[in-house]
Parts: sequence; structure tokens; C-alpha cells
Amino acid sequence: MRRLRKYKPFVRASAIDMMAYRFNIITWAIVTVFEVACLIFLWLAVYQSSEGGIDSSINGFTYKEMIVYVVLTTIFGFITFNDDTLWFINRDIRQGTIGNFLIKPISYRGKFIASNIGAFLMMSIVFGIPLYAAGLGVLIGIGYLPVASVWDFIAHFALFLVASVLACLLNGVISYIFGILCFYTSAAWGLNALKTTVISFLSGTLLPIAFFPNVFREIVTYMPFAGMSQNPVLILMMKYDYLECCKVILISLAWLVLLELFAKLLFSRAIKVVTVQGG
Amino acid sequence: MHYIKLYFVCIKRSMLSRLEYKKDSVISILSFLLSNACALGSIFFILQAIPSLKGYTPAEVGFFYGFSMLPIAIDHLFSDEFWLVAYRRVQLGDMDRHFLRPIPVIFQMFAETFQPDGFGEVIVGITMIVICGLNLHVSVTFGAIFVLIIGAVFGALIITSFKIALSSLAFIFKRSGPLLQIVYNFTVYAKYPIAIFPKVVKFILIFILPFGLFISLPVDTLLYGNYNPYLLSLIIIGVSIVFFTLATLIWTLCARRYESTGS
Repeated sequence: MRRLRKYKPFVRASAIDMMAYRFNIITWAIVTVFEVACLIFLWLAVYQSSEGGIDSSINGFTYKEMIVYVVLTTIFGFITFNDDTLWFINRDIRQGTIGNFLIKPISYRGKFIASNIGAFLMMSIVFGIPLYAAGLGVLIGIGYLPVASVWDFIAHFALFLVASVLACLLNGVISYIFGILCFYTSAAWGLNALKTTVISFLSGTLLPIAFFPNVFREIVTYMPFAGMSQNPVLILMMKYDYLECCKVILISLAWLVLLELFAKLLFSRAIKVVTVQGG
Repeated sequence: MHYIKLYFVCIKRSMLSRLEYKKDSVISILSFLLSNACALGSIFFILQAIPSLKGYTPAEVGFFYGFSMLPIAIDHLFSDEFWLVAYRRVQLGDMDRHFLRPIPVIFQMFAETFQPDGFGEVIVGITMIVICGLNLHVSVTFGAIFVLIIGAVFGALIITSFKIALSSLAFIFKRSGPLLQIVYNFTVYAKYPIAIFPKVVKFILIFILPFGLFISLPVDTLLYGNYNPYLLSLIIIGVSIVFFTLATLIWTLCARRYESTGS
């Protein structure tokens, strides 16, 4: 416990940081509302054009479920993916401040985990509670998200929280891995864009993995990305029974451990080639 | 004539500084290609599940997507500097030197950066147009090609006009990037035929933020011959001239209010 205490300032600092960008958050919100609206129109057109008409189910999703999926994935991404890990690593390399961390008695990786958790907590409390409450309230209210029993919903919500934390940590470690690649290329913009693209496609943010072609779908289902957006949201939508929930959570957990080990290995190799520009 | 020469001198300088970041450019272009592949893949996966999207076949939707990239790419090539004006340069007080030179500031902004990344978009867009175009069963008329070219070039001018007008608000408010971002992001709607949107959105996309006017209508002209290509071209050119004139006017008015932030 005492070993963890030294990371507390990082949790706090990144939580406060998050709030300093309120203005960006408002911009993001407006942009997103229009983008979500665009997606909803697209899906509406897709379901209207489908053979069975608007009430048909495509790849296991009805029109209503698809709208719920789009809305919840958007809120989920906003609350969960707030890491500046890659940018911080890039800055530490460019300005040479990475040297400071190598001589301090804290782990470089630990610092980022603490920051990720801080940002996640702050976003969850300040934006998560009202956004999920409003989103779920409306979706359940208009009958788009049917709730069989309250207890069932509460249980799924609890599992969703666990899956969310795992998604946040997975996102953090993947950012960290991409960040370490900055040691080799110092192409932070490109790497960040690459990371965002890979995550948004393979995590099911662009469209549910059920829409992917056969073999590709099977592979993506067992990759770590599925646990970063699609699976938590499908848990919240109660599309998974408890057994499936546990299965996807365990897969995420296993990936998290594997990726952390990989990151550790990669970092210990990369640190040997670090070239500080200036510093 | 003098300005054209000056433009090339400035652009050469900007290209030289870009060469410093070759790796970054390569990775950016790669990730750009990949993100387009993902977006397109998504659309095709969706289209596989339905017979057609409101009557549009996958090849037609792909053609739309490819064509929508052209005006956006052309704008991207020439006017990237306005993003910096909107987000940073005014706020940092970095514009003073431009106001001291005996050349219009707006010209200097165009000459400040030439963004070769835009070529990537042009290439992807044209490739898609060609691939999807070959799978379309339409009779290609000269008029349709003409209106597509007009749509791409003058559409870019309309996008640039929005950038000029909105970034110049930074002269008054110090920072107008977010507003520019919000308006610019409406280009996500431009990737699809406007037929899939409700009436209100169609109205906005033709009369207010006219992405539909220079993307959707020209493509519909090619696919279905819905509109008279020459009349449509004339309208697009007219609208773009009005937008550009208004934008430069707004820029001039706002630039008068410019005060250096000092630091």
C-alpha cells in the first residue's frame, strides 16, 4: 500500500488537468452530437433499405439496438479514452525530461497508470454520471433499451464498471506501447493517428464487430481491442448473459497482463537507444 | 504576377522545413491511408448486409466517398495555415510580423504553408473514383465530368472561405479554433449521398453549409442525370465567389481589430 501511495499525486494532477480543458470538452461535445446524428441518419437509411424493413435485425442488431449502441459507444469513448500517455512520452523524449524519471524512485509506467486512473475517475464523476444517467434514462424511457428486471440491470451495470476500468487500462497500455515507438521514430503525430485508427476500427467503435466478415470477425473477437469499447457497451446493453460477461472480462484481463509484460520488455530495450534532442 | 512568384518562393521555403520531418510524414500518410481503408471497410461491411442504400449500390457509395475527398484535399493543400491562426498564432502574438509586411496578410497565410499531405488524399480519392467508376453502369457525359471538376475545385474554395472567415474571428476573440472545428467537421455528412438524410439536414447541406451542393448534386448528376450540369456548375461557381468575397471581407474587418498579445 505504501508503495502505491507515492503515485497519488499523479492521480490528482491528471484529474485536475482534465478539468483545465473544459473548453475543449465543450467543442468535443458539439462536434460529437453532430457526428452521432450523422451516424443515426446513416443507420436509419441502412435499416430502411434492408430487406425486412426498419424492424428487421441485421447481424443480431435491430435498429433500436444500433442507436443505443452508437450513443453508448460515444459516451463510453469520451469517458474512457482520455490518455495523453503518448504525448507525454514524446515530450519527455524531445525535452530530455525522461532522464529525470530514470533516476527517480518511481516507475515510469506506474506514473502513467496513475494518471490514466486519475483522468478516468475525474471524467467518470464529472461527466460519466450525468451522461450515462441521461443517456440510459432516455434510451430506456423511449423503449430503445428494454430492461427485463432492475436487478438484472444493476448486475450488468456492475460488470460494465469492471469492464470499463479494464478498457481504460488497456487503452493506457496500448498508448504506452505506441509512445515507446516514439523512441525510434519521434513521429508522434503519425503514431497517434495510427493508434486512434486501429483502436476505433478493431474495438467496434466504428461499427459492431458482428458486421465484419467471418474469419476476420473471429480473430478480432479475441483481440484486446474488442474489450476496449464493444464488449463493455454490449454488457451494459445486456446483450451478454453472465457467463459471456465473465468470459469477455477474463479475456481483457489476460490481455492486460500480457500487454503490460510486453510494454515492460519493449521499454527496457528502447531506453537503450534513446536519443535526447537538446535536453 | 509578382504575387505568383512570391508564392512559389515562400512555398519552397515551407517545403524545405517540412523535409526535416520525413519519418513523421511517412507515418502520417500511412495512418491516413489506413484510416480511410477502415472507414471504407466499415461502409462496405454495412452495405453487404443490405441490397442497396436508398437505391445507391456499393460502387456508387464508394464513388461518393472518393469524390468527397477531392474538395477537402484541395483545400487541405493550400490553406492549412488558417488552422494555426484560429488555434494558436493570434493567441501567442505570433502574427505581428505579417502585419508589418507590405503584402496582404491573407496572401501571406496562403503562402506560409503548402501541405503535401493533401496529395495523399487526392490520390486515394481519384483511385476510388476510378475503381468505383469502372463498376458503375452509367453513360459518362462531358457535362457530368465538367460539373465534377467544378465541384471539386470550387467546392474547395467554399471550404477555404469558411476557414478564412472563422479563423479571422480569432483577431477579435484571440482563439476561434473550436468554432472552426465544429463547422469543418460537418464534412462527415459530405461523404454520403444527401438522399439518406432527413429534409432539414438536406436543406442545411445545400443552403447553409453547402457541402451537398458541390459534392452530392454533381455526383447525382453523373449517376442519374438529375440536374443540368452547366446550370449546376454556374450555381457552384457563383456560390463559391459569394462565399469567398464574404470571407475576405470578414477577414479584413476582423484584422482591423487585431491587437498584439505582446508575449
